[in-house]
Amino acid sequence: MTGDAQTPALPLHLRAAILLRLLAIQGVWNYETMLGNGIAFAMEPALRRLPGGRQGEAYRTAMARHSGYFNAHPYLAAVAVGALIRAELDGVPAAQIDRFRTAAPGPLGSVGDRLIWAGWLPLCSSLALLAYGLGAGPLAVVLLFLLTYNFVHLGLRIWGLHAGWTQGLRVAQALANPLLRQGPAHVARATALVAGVALPVAAHALIGPGRVLLGSVLAAVAAGATLVTLLHGRFEGWRLATLALATFVLYTMVR
Amino acid sequence: MPLDHFRIDDRLIHGQVVVGWGQPCAIGFLVLVDDEVARSDWEQELYRMGVPPEMDVYFDSVESAARRLPEYRADRRCGMLLTGDIDTMERLVARAPDITAVTVGGIHHKAGRAARLRYVFLTPDEEARLRALAERGVTVTAQDVPSASPLSLDALLRGDGSG
Repeated sequence: MTGDAQTPALPLHLRAAILLRLLAIQGVWNYETMLGNGIAFAMEPALRRLPGGRQGEAYRTAMARHSGYFNAHPYLAAVAVGALIRAELDGVPAAQIDRFRTAAPGPLGSVGDRLIWAGWLPLCSSLALLAYGLGAGPLAVVLLFLLTYNFVHLGLRIWGLHAGWTQGLRVAQALANPLLRQGPAHVARATALVAGVALPVAAHALIGPGRVLLGSVLAAVAAGATLVTLLHGRFEGWRLATLALATFVLYTMVR
Repeated sequence: MPLDHFRIDDRLIHGQVVVGWGQPCAIGFLVLVDDEVARSDWEQELYRMGVPPEMDVYFDSVESAARRLPEYRADRRCGMLLTGDIDTMERLVARAPDITAVTVGGIHHKAGRAARLRYVFLTPDEEARLRALAERGVTVTAQDVPSASPLSLDALLRGDGSG
């Protein structure tokens, strides 16, 4: 198990190359290997340091191993990438690396889903909605969302690679970080608060003081809620959202 | 609702379980049944980090899970039992015949497996094992998330995701 010995330095240019590749980790996502190819792609610059370099057997074996099925949250996959690079360069036995590749994706997916998809993304969306409701212009709303969201998004990838490299296969210690353990609950509470304020404020900004559209908006909300309830389990949410968005775009063009 | 969800998922504890099922079903505890994980401290430590602090996770081998099942069933909290493969669930059902329903939540691609659903890939042997489970009186369905409709074993093996 790596992580106990003194951590060797990961050169800055190598770290930067891996981080850049981590941004494309979902580039060849598919239902068969999921993030697998992306994991191997992100690790590749470091794997060139294996004995024999790019033509060596160790490099080829490692690339084949890491291109296999791997499913985790794309941001926290950086933790696995760091840990797996450390394990490969430290010469950890293949069987142990395979056990890690089986065990790590679930927890990394679970922590990422709670923190980002169920926490930070709705919070940032609510903040942007609140800014719109308070009168911010389109550019300011978009910038507010992109800056707040990506502050944590990019920070998580940078931290993840560092934590994985430092801890090696003992990344459970890194995942025990209070921000990851307690953070999702605090973010969820903050989201509830901000969304609770933002929705009526944004609705007010959208409808305006004349309330001409109030009846139409309330009817659309009621119809949407009924539709979602009726289609529960038979229609995926993202398809419904895309359909609603397309209808709205068509409506604004015709209008 | 006590422990009534027995799930086969090669990802074991992951976002779909903890967030997808955990939040709407208010799951209070997970039972992870895997002979190797039950012997491995570092793997248990890793899986433990995947669940929120308010959710308990218990690690069992097939033997200990079968022995402790009445205890888990007596727990008033909603619970979910997970195995990483069909073989483990099959061995558990053989020791605990009161398991009457099993959900296939995710079996992913590897050499020799063919796609049945986007989240279920099976070898011919695994298909036969699922059929054998059904013949023992266990209701086998496929369902990845609570918002999806459960698919019957026939629909799963036909690869008919529409149910």
